[in-house]
Amino acid sequence: MDQPDARARAGDRGNTMPPICNPTAHLSRRALMKGTLAAAGGVVMNWGGLTGTALGEEAKKERKHCILLWMNGGASQFETFDMKPGRPTGGPYRPISTNVNGIQICELMPKMAKQMDKVAVIRSMRTSQVDHPGGIYLMHTGYQPRGNIRYPEMGAVVAKYQGLGDSDLPNFVKISSNGDAGAGFLGPKYQPFGIGAEGGLPPFSTSQKPELDEKRRNDLRSFVDSQFVETSRSEVAKMHRESYEAARRLQKARQAFNIDAEWAKSKDLYGDSEFGRRCLMARRLVETGVAFVEVGQSSYDSHADNASWHRGLVPPMEHAWAGLLEDLKQRGLLDTTLVVWTGEIGRTPTINNRAGRDHYVRCWSTALAGCGIKGGQTYGESDENGAEVKTNPVTEGDFFATVYSALGINPKKENYAGIRPVPLANFGSNPVKELLD
Amino acid sequence: MFGSRTLLLTLVLSLVAGSAGRLDAQTPLREVIDGQVRAKWAAEKLTPAKPATDAEFLRRVTIDLVGSIPSYEETIAFLESKEPTKREKLVDRLLEDPRHAQQQADTWDMILFGRFPPGNDADKRLGFQAWLRTQFEKNVPYDELARTILKAEGLSTDGPAMYYVQYKNAPEDATESITQQFLGVQLQCARCHDHPFEEWKQLDFYGMAAFLARLEVVTLNRKGSGTESTFVIGEQEVGDIQFTGPAKDAVAGKKGEPVKPKFLHATALVEPAAKDGKPAKFSNTAPPPKPKFSRKDRLAEWIADPKNPYFTKAIVNRVWGQFMGKGISHPVDNLSPSNPPVMPELMETLAKELIVHKYDLKWLTREIVLSQAYQLSGAGDGEAMPRLYHHSRTRPLSAEELAECWRVASGWTPSGATAAKGAKSERFRPLESGYMLRFFGTPNSGAGDFQGGLQEHLYMNNGPLGSVIGGKGSLSEFVGTASKPVEDRVRRLYLQTLNRPPTAIETEKVSAYLKSGGPAADAVWALITSAEFRFNH
Repeated sequence: MDQPDARARAGDRGNTMPPICNPTAHLSRRALMKGTLAAAGGVVMNWGGLTGTALGEEAKKERKHCILLWMNGGASQFETFDMKPGRPTGGPYRPISTNVNGIQICELMPKMAKQMDKVAVIRSMRTSQVDHPGGIYLMHTGYQPRGNIRYPEMGAVVAKYQGLGDSDLPNFVKISSNGDAGAGFLGPKYQPFGIGAEGGLPPFSTSQKPELDEKRRNDLRSFVDSQFVETSRSEVAKMHRESYEAARRLQKARQAFNIDAEWAKSKDLYGDSEFGRRCLMARRLVETGVAFVEVGQSSYDSHADNASWHRGLVPPMEHAWAGLLEDLKQRGLLDTTLVVWTGEIGRTPTINNRAGRDHYVRCWSTALAGCGIKGGQTYGESDENGAEVKTNPVTEGDFFATVYSALGINPKKENYAGIRPVPLANFGSNPVKELLD
Repeated sequence: MFGSRTLLLTLVLSLVAGSAGRLDAQTPLREVIDGQVRAKWAAEKLTPAKPATDAEFLRRVTIDLVGSIPSYEETIAFLESKEPTKREKLVDRLLEDPRHAQQQADTWDMILFGRFPPGNDADKRLGFQAWLRTQFEKNVPYDELARTILKAEGLSTDGPAMYYVQYKNAPEDATESITQQFLGVQLQCARCHDHPFEEWKQLDFYGMAAFLARLEVVTLNRKGSGTESTFVIGEQEVGDIQFTGPAKDAVAGKKGEPVKPKFLHATALVEPAAKDGKPAKFSNTAPPPKPKFSRKDRLAEWIADPKNPYFTKAIVNRVWGQFMGKGISHPVDNLSPSNPPVMPELMETLAKELIVHKYDLKWLTREIVLSQAYQLSGAGDGEAMPRLYHHSRTRPLSAEELAECWRVASGWTPSGATAAKGAKSERFRPLESGYMLRFFGTPNSGAGDFQGGLQEHLYMNNGPLGSVIGGKGSLSEFVGTASKPVEDRVRRLYLQTLNRPPTAIETEKVSAYLKSGGPAADAVWALITSAEFRFNH
């Protein structure tokens, strides 16, 4: 059993089969599952991927993680990673040198300047959704919104392919971020577990009962369930029971979300900001085994006073980000943790009459670090005013293909929405090889 | 039972052999079904499960037909009855229950819109839902129902016109959905390329889409129509769908070729030559005039025709799947040659008989649920959707079913204030619809697709479920009445929630729990959050 999640995996199709729309492949998942289980000695060890101990510590260590830093509203490339000093589009800030020869970034990011050897910047993003809802959907799923298909978010995909089956915590956690596509057609098992801006758990995470009462009624419930599972032998009843057990385990693992003690010690490293605190929680969760954590920062939608807007938002963000990279590095987690930095859109080269920058997706910047990403480089170029991509355009599909590839997930892997095969990254997209190990 | 009676089996086999349809005009369809299913088991050397007990059957068929478990009183009455025809009588009663129309309306609302419709205000469709319920109350023949939906006349707030609203300005999306939902034809691959191994070419797709290319969703300006907007489906006299070739060769700005309407497997539609001219500008104050020649109406008539090669098979396959867990072709909306039916003869028989019975879905439902195959035990090899119907299927309850089952099981009644407010329209009372739909709303294929999810357990464990449990006259009150013998209380607990008496060990364990001071409300909670309660089996 090479993956913990036999049932969910059996529904998709790797590269070994010809790329055709074959509905019967979907139907054979039962057979596939049986085969997988038989290989594990005929014992249903990991039903529904929520319990079991089929994976050793070894496998756990090799598992990859992802932290998505979501710049809601769309951060400006001109005030971060793609400076145009001296051009009419340049804006007021000056570029500074970094710890990588030849790479300059905005002076608002002095701490990230010291981390640039870890970071690969893509300066040639060209995407297809210029408004917020469309862009948020696009940069969370890699797909344009489309009526008949509910695409899953990056977090749900990573939860499915890199999530731990026996984790006490959910595999997809969102901390104060945006996007509501959720698990889409991958199903409720991969739904994000949303943490509020102040670190609060989602509704119904906390028992209202005294511990003793809670234990007593749950013992009774477990007995009731055991009777049914025994007589009916129904697989869905087993899955139901196992997700119930996972919910119980979560009650015990809740302290992972309480970072008060560690925050006191880490404030300096991450910077004393809400975003810093969220980044610390992300690191803590990844360390506990969570596959995907998304951390949001609002809001970059600077249609007016772009420069001062960014002066407020960028410094705490870059402090936290730099601290996160440093912390991951020190703990030996950076090699297996991909840190993605993006928002839904970039901002216009022209500065409007309210000193703002509007929405722009013809040429903008994103950044990746860790998990085998070749840091210390920029990929793609914008033209002298930052208006058009000059070399190596990267589409949303290419971006997602790169993210999935870095995480050891084949971007061409297909899942079924009904009988329609849908690859993880859209047809025709390719990972950016230059960024990958 | 079936496996051991080889003599009977041989007899049935020999009778069925050589006859593609029913045995004779007098044999009820349910017996023809059983003959064919048994023959299949024999051929595959499958031993079916035991017949379902009365308790199993009662719970299963009640949920399937009216979306609720039976009440405690109904359960007792049925289990104690010695009448030989009590199952038939139960089915007849349930089919006439107004809740059956609601259950069918819910099922079809999910087929036609899904839990999360594509948009364009299609999430607000109370008018459509009410209209659908009326159709099932009147047992309108299915062909008529399909035709009416596809002709989409009148205001969206009054019903059928709402269907197209979700595909506003997207005839291609509408084509994908209509062919899947009404014909079991999966054309969507042919939208972008000739299908690699099915028969469909891109021009088949656009030939069908051409029937819908002239439709326009018109939003009427109407005051005082509540929260729902009012739409009407207009149809232009002119306009064609443009075909630009395979999607991979697409060039931005390239003008396509107009494609004429063409039915699947048929020649192009003969239609009067369109006048030259521009599409009309439809007013937003009055419904637009009907065109002289309606392509949409031709499509509706071609689809809902007994002669259509797909239409009748698609509906019998769907209804079969609704009650048996798996379509004869599965998924139920895919009748393509690459997805052959497991029992082709059965599909032919059902289709032929439904035409004879003038698309009477109530009749078809009655015959299916009274077949021996439907009445098998759920204890099987663990498959939620049994391959050849040799045990019953296990399916999760929908959000609506779960809410109703919780109310019936716990004996919840609206308190004075909620009752006075006419809380009847709130499907999830006293729980909130937002959370119920989020945690239990999907998947809802009705066919057993189920994934374990953390959130539903967190909700059941820590959420507001307590608001359904307590109160005067509730089950919890009865179970907590210490003056009554504890065995009686446990018996009632099981009969009112799981619709069966407790086993000896269950009586023992739960009695011990109650005697040691365990709260009655928690005992009710344990039963109504259990897997046995969560699924229909």
